[in-house]
Amino acid sequence: MKTNYLLPNKYKTLGWILFTLGIILGIILYISDYESEALTTKVLSIYSGETILGNDGGYFQIIENSIIDELITLAIIIGGLLVGFTKEKVEDEFIYKLRKDSLVWALIFNYVVLILTTIFIYDFAYFDVLVFNMFTPLLFFVFRFNFLKFKSQSHEE
Amino acid sequence: MKNSIKVQRAMRDMTQADLAKHIGVSRQSINAIEKNKYVPSTVLALKIAKLFNTKVEDIFFLEGNE
Repeated sequence: MKTNYLLPNKYKTLGWILFTLGIILGIILYISDYESEALTTKVLSIYSGETILGNDGGYFQIIENSIIDELITLAIIIGGLLVGFTKEKVEDEFIYKLRKDSLVWALIFNYVVLILTTIFIYDFAYFDVLVFNMFTPLLFFVFRFNFLKFKSQSHEE
Repeated sequence: MKNSIKVQRAMRDMTQADLAKHIGVSRQSINAIEKNKYVPSTVLALKIAKLFNTKVEDIFFLEGNE
């Protein structure tokens, strides 16, 4: 099966490490405190402010920020992309179909969850959900794809 | 659509892994095809038939009202 968007299989291990590490650290950070002071450093901010369209923000500034949450976010996203979009050991049409189906379901699942939370979750909890929503499509995709792959491996007689 | 891959394999004493290796697909694919969970592409069907030295129709056949 020829695909032009898949990376070589060797990146998959790195993906799994980043992904799991990111999720574990993310959960720990969420439970403890969002804005920890760990790894506070100077960063280049193209824009920072309360809202994107507000007038209170500043453009192109060097600001101080704890980059722990940024690192965790990047670890989960890059790790998840690597896990989901690297070649399998044997890449064929069935695997390709599993991956595609999982992607479609991940998107549908994500927006169903978002619809439900829009209707039923209010106040700042809603923004919490939006933060989780940055990762749920990837999470669901990776989970479903690997679950189906694992399931279709069993029952050899 | 049904298929007789399992029977054909048994006749030749091949495992799913053997067959998968011969036609260059994953074992999951063979497993899914045998369980009628996945309909292979024409290319793959032809490859399987070629390996078993038989016609595609002898391996894959339509069911009742298809």
